[in-house]
Amino acid sequence: MSANTSSDRDATPCAYTDYREGAAAEDLPATGEDATGLEADIWDALYGIEDPEMPISIVDLGLIYGVYLEDDTVTVDMTLTYSGCPARDMLTEEVKAEVAAVDGVDDTDLRLVWSPEWTVEMVTERGEQALQEFGLSV
Amino acid sequence: MAFDDPDTLEGRERRALETLVTRLADDQFVLAERYTEWQVRAPTLESDLALANNAQDELGHARLWYDVLEDIGLDEQDLVYERDPDDFRHSTLVERPFEEGDWADVVLRSYFYDAAEAVRLAALEDSAHPKIADRVGKIRSEEEYHLEHAQNWLERLADGESEGGDEDGHERLQNALDRLFPHALTLFEPVDPEREADIVELGLRDATLEELGEEWLSIVLPYLESLGLVVPVDIDEDDPEFTVTDDLLPDERGRDGTHTDAWYDLYDEFTHTYRELERSEPTKLMDTPQ
Repeated sequence: MSANTSSDRDATPCAYTDYREGAAAEDLPATGEDATGLEADIWDALYGIEDPEMPISIVDLGLIYGVYLEDDTVTVDMTLTYSGCPARDMLTEEVKAEVAAVDGVDDTDLRLVWSPEWTVEMVTERGEQALQEFGLSV
Repeated sequence: MAFDDPDTLEGRERRALETLVTRLADDQFVLAERYTEWQVRAPTLESDLALANNAQDELGHARLWYDVLEDIGLDEQDLVYERDPDDFRHSTLVERPFEEGDWADVVLRSYFYDAAEAVRLAALEDSAHPKIADRVGKIRSEEEYHLEHAQNWLERLADGESEGGDEDGHERLQNALDRLFPHALTLFEPVDPEREADIVELGLRDATLEELGEEWLSIVLPYLESLGLVVPVDIDEDDPEFTVTDDLLPDERGRDGTHTDAWYDLYDEFTHTYRELERSEPTKLMDTPQ
C-alpha cells in the first residue's frame, strides 16, 4: 500500500489532466474544503458516512475523488480501498442515498473510479488521527 | 474517441470489446471459484488466508471487468448465472480440478496465471477504452502480491529435492507442470481470429496474443528451469524462438467455447443454489417498501 511515494512527490505536476487519468494525485483525496452552499451541504452528508469497519469518515479515508454539481444534479467520483471490497454495494448505496437526501439535490450519479489507485497515502491528517485513536498505526 | 461513449459503438467495436473483456472477467471468476475450494483445506492457516484473500481479489477483478460490459447492455448476474456454460471464454487452465490435496497444483497454476496476467495487463495500460485503462493499475498492483505469493511457494516446494530426504515437493511440482502446461498455453489462444485482430487494430490492447504468449514464455521458461523443473518443449539453442504448435495444446481450449468435462461440473456446482432458490430475481424483503 506504499506505492506512489517519494518518486511521485518529486515529479513535476502535470499541466494537463483529463478525466481518463483522474485528478492529479496531489489534489487527492477531495475533501470539499472550499465548498460553499449546496456543495458544502453535500460534503457534510459525505463526512457523515463512516467506513463499515473503522470509525473514520469515508472522506477522511480518502475514498472521495470529486463532487461535481451541475444545476441540481450531483456526480460523485469515488473509489474503494481494494477491488474485492465486500462493502461495495453497501457503501455506494449509502453515498447515493445520503447525497440524494440533501435539500436541493435532485439527481445523484455515482461513478466508481480506480485511478489513481487508493493507497494509505490518501488518508487525511484527521483520518490518520482517527485511525490512531482506534489503535491502527498509519 | 468511440470507446468514451459506449452508446455510439458500432458492431465491430462492440464485438471486439466484448471478446476482450469477457475473457478477462471469465478467467478471473472461474479461477476464484477454484481457489475457494482450498478454504479450510490449505496446508497452513497462513496459506489458507492468503489464498482465500487472492480468491476475493480475483472476484473483485472479475466484477470490475463485468462492469465494463454493463455499458454495452450485458448484466453481471446474467453473465455469471444465466449464461450457457458453453459461452464462457476462460482458459482451460482455470477450470481444471485440483488433484486431491495437491498444493503444488494450485501454487503452479497461480504462477502460470499471475505471470500471464502481468503481461496482458501491461498491454492494456494505454487502452483506447477509458474504463479499461482506469482499472488496470488497481488490478495490477493487487496481482503483484499474488505473483509474489506463488513464487515464494514455488521456490520452497522446488527446494524439496536439494534439502535431501523429502523429494515430494519437487516431484509434485513436476507432475503438476506436466498436467497444467498445455492448459496454460490456452491463455493465449484466440476466441476468434478476426475479433482478435480488431482488438489490437482498435487500440483496445497494444499487443497481439502471439506477442503476449511469447513474452510470457520468455519469463516462465527460464524461471521454471532455474528451479530444476523440466518444461515439456524442445527449444533449439540456435533458434530459441518458441512457437506454440497444435500438438502442444489440449483438445479443449476454453477460449473457443470448448471446455473439459470438469468445467460443466464446476458450473453446476456454482449455479446450484442460484437455481434451487430460483434466484432469477433479487430477493426482496417486502413487495413495496413501507
